[in-house]
This record gives sequence, C-alpha cells and structure tokens, in this order.
Amino acid sequence: MIEYPILSMTTFLPLVGAVAILVIRHERVARWTALATTLLTFAVSIPLYTQLDKNNAALQFVESAEWIPAWNIAYGMGVDGISVPFIGLATLLSVLCISVSWTAVKTRVRGFYAAILVAETAMIGVFAASNLFLFFMFWELMVVPMFLLIGVWGGPGRVFAAVKFLLFTLAGSVLMLVGMIGLYDSCGTLDFKALADAKDILTPEHQAWLFAAFLAAFAVKVPMFPFHTWLPDAHTEAPTAGSVILAGILLKMGAYGFLRVSIPILPDGLALFLQPMLVISAVAIVYGAYVTLVQTDMKRLIAFSSVSHMGFVTLGIFTLDQRGVEGAILQMINHGIVSAALFLCVGMIYERTHTREIKDYGGVGKVAPVYAVLLALFCLASAGFPGLNSFVGEFLIIGAAFKTHAGLGGMAIWGVGLGTAYIVWLFYRVVMGKLNPGLEGLRLELNAREIATLAPLAVGVVCLGLYPEWILSYLHAPVAELLAGISR
Amino acid sequence: MNGPSVADMALLAPELILVGIALVLVVAARRLRSSAVPVIATVVAALAACFVCGWILSSEPKIGFGGMFTVDGYSQFFKVLIAATLVLVALLSVKSFERDNVPRGEYHALLLLASTGMMLSVSALDLLSLYLGLELTTLCAYILVGITVDKPTANEAAIKYFLLGSFASALLLFGMALTYGLTGTTDFAGIAQALTDQGPASSPLLLVGIGLVAAGLAFKISAVPFHAWSPDAYEGASAPVAALLATGSKVAGLAALGRVCQVAFASQEEVLTVVLVVLAGLSILVGSVIAVSQTDMKRLLAYSSIAHAGYALLGLVGGPAGGATATMTYAFLYVFMTIGAFGVVIALGRRGESLDGYQGLAAQRPVTAAIMLLFLLSLTGLPPTAGFAAKFVVITSAIRADQVVLAVLAVVCTVVTAFVYLRIAVFMYMKEPQQSQQPEPSRVPAAVTVALAVAALVTLIGGVFPGILTAWVVSP
Repeated sequence: MIEYPILSMTTFLPLVGAVAILVIRHERVARWTALATTLLTFAVSIPLYTQLDKNNAALQFVESAEWIPAWNIAYGMGVDGISVPFIGLATLLSVLCISVSWTAVKTRVRGFYAAILVAETAMIGVFAASNLFLFFMFWELMVVPMFLLIGVWGGPGRVFAAVKFLLFTLAGSVLMLVGMIGLYDSCGTLDFKALADAKDILTPEHQAWLFAAFLAAFAVKVPMFPFHTWLPDAHTEAPTAGSVILAGILLKMGAYGFLRVSIPILPDGLALFLQPMLVISAVAIVYGAYVTLVQTDMKRLIAFSSVSHMGFVTLGIFTLDQRGVEGAILQMINHGIVSAALFLCVGMIYERTHTREIKDYGGVGKVAPVYAVLLALFCLASAGFPGLNSFVGEFLIIGAAFKTHAGLGGMAIWGVGLGTAYIVWLFYRVVMGKLNPGLEGLRLELNAREIATLAPLAVGVVCLGLYPEWILSYLHAPVAELLAGISR
Repeated sequence: MNGPSVADMALLAPELILVGIALVLVVAARRLRSSAVPVIATVVAALAACFVCGWILSSEPKIGFGGMFTVDGYSQFFKVLIAATLVLVALLSVKSFERDNVPRGEYHALLLLASTGMMLSVSALDLLSLYLGLELTTLCAYILVGITVDKPTANEAAIKYFLLGSFASALLLFGMALTYGLTGTTDFAGIAQALTDQGPASSPLLLVGIGLVAAGLAFKISAVPFHAWSPDAYEGASAPVAALLATGSKVAGLAALGRVCQVAFASQEEVLTVVLVVLAGLSILVGSVIAVSQTDMKRLLAYSSIAHAGYALLGLVGGPAGGATATMTYAFLYVFMTIGAFGVVIALGRRGESLDGYQGLAAQRPVTAAIMLLFLLSLTGLPPTAGFAAKFVVITSAIRADQVVLAVLAVVCTVVTAFVYLRIAVFMYMKEPQQSQQPEPSRVPAAVTVALAVAALVTLIGGVFPGILTAWVVSP
C-alpha cells in the first residue's frame, strides 16, 4: 500500500501550481508551469488506478486528520472504485484544457491558468472527499473558478451566462447546505460511512425532506430536466477549456452526489422519489434530444446533447440495478470523454473561423482530413456506435431500464435514435459537401499540438468501446455494496 | 455599598488604557503636528487592550463594581474583537482624511472612546451599565459620522442618525424602566430570578418591556425594522467611520443582545424566540433584497450589514439552551470580511465609493481586485472563506432550534446576496475600465495595506481552519 497521502497530494498539487502562477510574472513561464502542474498531478494520481483493490468496496487510500474538533468534523479523504475513474478523468482533462488553450487564450493568461488549476483541485477534491463537509467545500470551490472562466474568457454573452450559472448552482447548493446541516444535526457526524451507518435514526419523512434538499443541488448540477436551462448558456459562452471542464467533470459531480450521498444515506427518502426521478430522466433524454436537433450553434448543440446524455445517466442510476448503475457510471466517463472531445473539436475550429454557426461551415473534410476523421470518431461515439465507448454504457442502461419498465426503455431507445440523427446531421453539415466559401483560405487542419490533445480521448473512445471491463472492473464491488445497502 | 476597590479597577484595565490615551490625545490635540502620532497611539492602545483582554485577564468569570460589571470568557472574546476592530479602523483612517479638514487628535480620541463604550457594554451585567456603555458608543458615533464638517452630506447624516438614535435610546431606556418596575432590580441575575419566580409571561407590561429593550438593541445592530438610519449614516460618514459602525458597534450590540436575552430574560424564551426570529428573518430578507438595487458602495455595504445582522441573530434563536457561540463566531468572522470590504473601498479613494468605479479594476489593480473578490466571496458565504464557516454555524444553530423555515429563508437569501456581491466581481473582472475615469491616487498607504492584509488573512484562515476560533467562543 501507499504510505504517503496520495489523495491530498493529487488534490492540492494544482492549487500549489495556481499560487505559483499568480506569483510568476511571465506569461510564457506561467503557461509551462500550468502544463507541468497538470502533468505532474496526473502522474501522481497513477498509483490510485493501479494499486486500488478492486474487490474491496470500502474507501481506500484513506487519510484522516483532526480539523474542527469542536464541531466533530475531521479532514477525511478516501476513494473507492466509483470515484477513482472520475479522478482519472479530471486529471486527464485538465492537461488537455491547458493544452487546448495554449494559443486560444490571449488575455490575462496567468489568471486563466490559475483558474483552471483551482478548478482542478475542486474537481479532484469532490471525488476524493470522504466526508460531506469537505465534499461541500470542494463542491462550492468549483463554482468560483468556473464563474470567472465563463465570465472573463467566454464568448459575447459571457457575463449573463456566468451570472446565470452562478445563481443556478448556488440556489441548488445552498439547499444542499441546509440538507447537510439537517443530517449533521440528526446524526452528529458528516462522515459518509458514519452517516450511512447512522441512517436508521432518520424517519422516512425526515429522509424525504433531506433527499429533496440534496436533490436541489444535484439536479441543478447534472442537470436534470427542468433545471437544465443554465447549461446551454454556460457551455456555449465558456471558453473551450471551460466547456470541457463543465461537460467533462462538473456535470458528473451531480450524478456522483446521488451515488455518494442520496442513495447510501437516504434510501427511504429515495424510495419516495424513485418514480418521478425515472420519469424525468426519460423525459430529459427525449426532450433534450429534440431540442438538440434544432440547434444552429455547434456548441449549443453539443451542450443540449448533454442534457439528453445525462438523462441516460440518471435513468441508469435510478433503476437501482447492478447493471444499470454500472452502465450509468461508465456512461458518465464516456460522456466525459466524448463531450469533452467534441467541445475540443469545436473550440479548435472556432479558433480559426471565429464562428460557431453550423451554416458557416461545410466541406471541412476536404481541407482538413485529420480533423474530419477525429470528429467522425467522436460523433459516432456520441451516437452510441457499436465498438465505441458510449455503446456499452447505453446498452447496459437500456437493458436495466427495460427491466424496470418497458416504457422507460422505449423512451431511451427513442433517445438513442434521435441522438444519432442530430450528431450525424451535425457532422454532415460541417464536414461533408462543398467547401463553404467563407472558409476558403483558412488553414483548418489541426496542428500537432491539437492532434496530441485529441489523441488520448480518441484512444479512450476506442479502448473503452472494445474493453469496457477496464472501467467496469472498478465498479462491480462498490456498486454491489451500494445496492446491498439500500435493501438492508 | 463601598466604592470601587483596586480589584474592581483592575478589571477595567483595557477600558482604562483606551480612555487614558483618548484623554492624552484630546489634551495634546492642538500641539500635534504629525498626523501619524494619533494613529500610532490609537493602534498601540488598542493592541495593549487586546493583549490585556486576551492574555492578562483570565477568562475565569469575575464580577466587580457591585455586580454591574463582569470579566468572563464572553466579554473577553468580544473585547479582543472590538480592540482588533479599532486597530483596523485606525489604520484605515490614515488615507481617508488626507484631504479633509478633520482634527486628527479628536477623531482618534472619539474612536477610542467609542470602543471603550463598546467594551463596557459587552461586560455589563446590569441594565444601567449596559445603557451607559451603549450611549457612550452612540454619542461618539454621532460626532464621528459628522466629523467631516465641510461636507453637507455628513452633517445631514449625523443629524438623521442622532434623531433616530436618540429615539431608539429612549425606547431602550423605557423598556429598561418597565423591566425595573416589574422586577424591582436592574441587575441581570436579579431580573432573571424575579422573572422565574413570577412565572412565564406574567404581565403584558413585561412583554412591552422586553419588546422595547429588544427594539432599542435592534437599532444598535441595525436589524429590520430598526435599520432605516444605517444606509444614510454610512453613506454620509467617511468610509472608516462607516466601517466602525458596521462592525464594532454592531458587534457590541449583538453581544449586549446575547447577554440580555440569555441571562436577564432567560425565562422568557418563548417571547424572545418570536422576537428574534422576526428580526432575523426580516433583516435577512430586506437587507439582501434592497442591496440588489444599490449603486453606492457604502449604501450597498450598509444593506449588506443589515442582512448580516439578521444572519448573526440566527445564532441566538435557540435561546439559552442553544447558547450564543454561533453568533460569536459569526460576529468575529463578519468583522474581518466587512472591514476588508470597506478597506478596499478606502484604498481606491473616491473611485471606490461607487459601483461604477470597480469597472475593469482587475486589469488595472489585480491584487486589490483579488482581495476584494475574497471579501465578496466571504460575504456571500462561499467556501473556503470565513463567510462559509460563519454561515455554517448560524444555520446549524437555527436548525437545532427547529427553525427550518427561517434557515431555508436565510440560505435562499444567500443567493440574492450572491447576486449583490458578485455584481461587483462582474464589474471588476468582466467589464472594461471606463475611459473617463480619472486615475485614483496610485499610492495606497502602508497602514491601509497592513489592515487589508490582516483582514484577508483572517478571512482566509477563518474559512480553512475555523477550528482555531471555536476554542475561544464561550456563551454568556
């Protein structure tokens, strides 16, 4: 086993890098420092994936220290098979965020990289925290750098989008604060494990209220229909790196919250909300897909597709079926990879053309074959093409959904069909056909740095599609334990 | 009763230090050429008082002056806080009066005397000594608000404050008189004993008495509906004086309210809970909602301080069983973030007083903007700043007292205040600087920098390691 505090190191290394960047005066040095920090963080986190005992459902690499003894709150870190893949995704995407912004960000460069690094600390921290207080701290810490990333370095409507993002997420998370304090008041602790053990002292009614309070925060973050309206604005206006973090990690935090808090600690409350959750998940899949079909802005299209894809995730989670939950978690990772890749692709071409309108494109494949191939790969993955990663996740979720209720499975299938339609149509309009006259003379082909940025995601898409057990093997034990906890 | 003994006087040591320096400053005022001397004298006096409160006088409860005055953990906690406030306000005063025609010696003497009044009121164990302490504070505050005699707005603000303040003092005194009439004593312990003997809600007059005392104290902390004076007073006053009103005198009022509610009227918990819940709920709601439309920074911070008074009151709704530790923690952390925000306003000079002045600040003064962002996040209550720890304790206290609706109202209003504070952040970070803006004096005095650094440090450490503070909070 590992003797040093690996989780704290992974979590706080980016923060150290952020401070260093703010001290450094030179922009070029700051950029390299940011890249080095994210690469180092990724390297430091590697033992988490290799040395985790996959058959053990308990939290591992546990760290604990006295923090606020008067409130009975300790500093606690720990991961299990559910959280480790997300830490991997967060550390990987952070590297890519730095890389894709290399030339795209020209103003207040130091602040930008510092914000990304602070966001990385928050992302890792959310998945590594082993008590609710720390979880909440990181959860809220995430909001500030995202607010600045969207509002300072975003597109034309950035201020409105940033404020809307902030107010929506804050409105959810303050209710989570009340829920957290409610739990703290009843159980006297905020440790995840201790709370799950102490849940019997909560009456079902009490649990239902607490579930609703946490639901407010998680539903906004996921986002679940009808709390999704901040998402298209924020994703569209954010700079590419911001969109990648939002779609890749931030959305997963909400679903992770269900897995870490709502399901294990408040099962009686969950029972009451289960049917409506399943229904709105299915509605989100279909509604999100229809709205996506009519988008004319590439980023907005991908943003809305997230609503639909995250509908699959929540549907899978609330089937409370081993395969469904595993599929949902796998799908979160898949969506993190694919949507991040699509946002990267859009960002890279936007840097050249400065337009996101689909009608300004066409025939890109003629001048940028490598770009077209990579985009095709990610579009197919997003559509759930067999052999690529999303197929497996959607397959597991839909199977579980049919087991729960045929109608849910039917709606999910319908969503897959629409998902294929909108993404293929997007690809067709952008890449195929005659070259749009407006694009003539532009060097649209990717450079080596950009190809290197997309390559790890392309590898991930293919590898996870062919061998999903790579991620699923982490999930079997903790998901079984999670579901066993509900029936107990 | 005998006169005060030496032992009694020893309990007054911190107050005596402040008064002594104040008198020296008043006497020497005409001879003072350098403006640095009063500042240094004030800071040294305040640090000495802080040191005496924190380390020399032990927190073992001691009672002096025939039961009118106590030195206990509760009072020492607040006295350290008040002394720290005085230090920061004195440091921030360096810049503000560079151009105004303000007599430095008198100004600092008044700061010292106002702080003495606050210290007396947090130690008071008797309605009379409480009243004396509070009045000493407000009398000095009236003059401080109007001390920039050349500015008509300051004069107007001082007169408004004086009229409303005297009215509130009359209410407070009337309530005290009724309480005295019903219980036959002005001593807190005696009142508590008499009320327990008489049983709960024995007389409608008692309710009137409690209500009037609460109203008088609510005025001091500018809780709604007794808040109307504060936006005008803050706007007219110079920024350091506004900072003192928003922190020191509010904290003293909260401390007094805590002791009155939890000691003197301990048996009247039911009535007081209603009163406190209404005051807290209204303050939070009105303060945050009206702050949304403010464009003057001092007015904005005034409404913000009204909302924060409401949040601090959440810590008292649990009654004597719940204790006052949440309010104490809140008050402590609130002081530093609010003084910090005022400090940035002061550091930016005239530009800092209107919201528009913050446009593009991050591009021109990145460090100042970053520090302001820290204070704004803390005022909003976002982790990892002190504001989050503060909100956490008071909302926990409200939920423990089964005031879930109030707790939900409080957190929902946090979202409203987030809009208020982050609008400033939007101005700083997401807008371009105005072309017509005259560049503010580029040099920020070292004293202001030190004050900002201290405030920022406490705001950050208080958020990351709130455990440091919890050892010091003791209910009355």
